[in-house]
Amino acid sequence: MTMAAKAASLKAILEFVRKGAMEASLPESRIGELELVIEEIVMNACNHAYPDDAGVVTITYSVPTPGELSVEVADQGVEFNPLTAEPPDLTLDLGRRPIGGLGILLMKTLATSLTYRRECGWNRLTLGISAGS
Amino acid sequence: MDAESAPQFEQKSNACIEEGVTSLVVDLGALTYISSMGLRSFISVAKTLQDKGGALRICRLTGLVKQVFEITGLISTFPIYESVESALIGG
Repeated sequence: MTMAAKAASLKAILEFVRKGAMEASLPESRIGELELVIEEIVMNACNHAYPDDAGVVTITYSVPTPGELSVEVADQGVEFNPLTAEPPDLTLDLGRRPIGGLGILLMKTLATSLTYRRECGWNRLTLGISAGS
Repeated sequence: MDAESAPQFEQKSNACIEEGVTSLVVDLGALTYISSMGLRSFISVAKTLQDKGGALRICRLTGLVKQVFEITGLISTFPIYESVESALIGG
């Protein structure tokens, strides 16, 4: 599916990915984590890929084996590999904590696998999520 | 609490702060989902309250929401309580 890269598209995107999760027979607890990772990836694309202009994100999924879902989120915006971002310092007290910067940590922690590639002007982030972990 | 709903929480909290409130208790017992946009709103509101000598007190974390607070270390950053009552009394 292809949607405008903005927060208002999230609901439809999550419904689409949820269908994939059902096809992969992921347990409900894992589907919540999947939705969280997808939101982080899509919002990352919205904020970093298209900082000035409107753009679109394309989401596709497949079920490689039962209990396993693969989702690719692609955009044609500015090249950005979230997997190389500096990890946040979680030991800082509230006063010194930055307001943002936790989304990439969440996606890296909750996904079973995450890979990024830049291909012919596209950012392509592929998320693997399995029932077990 | 996602990219769409988090700004509403922040707006309502800031409206309370503008009216003179210096501490807020947030009961998350019925919350089943929070993304980094929700966390961003909590951190922002908590910083504002701390600057006014108060605090954002969070209670009744469960499931995925608790997991998210643990992953991000915010479980140690915010004052966290088991119940609304203890949050109201707390610190």
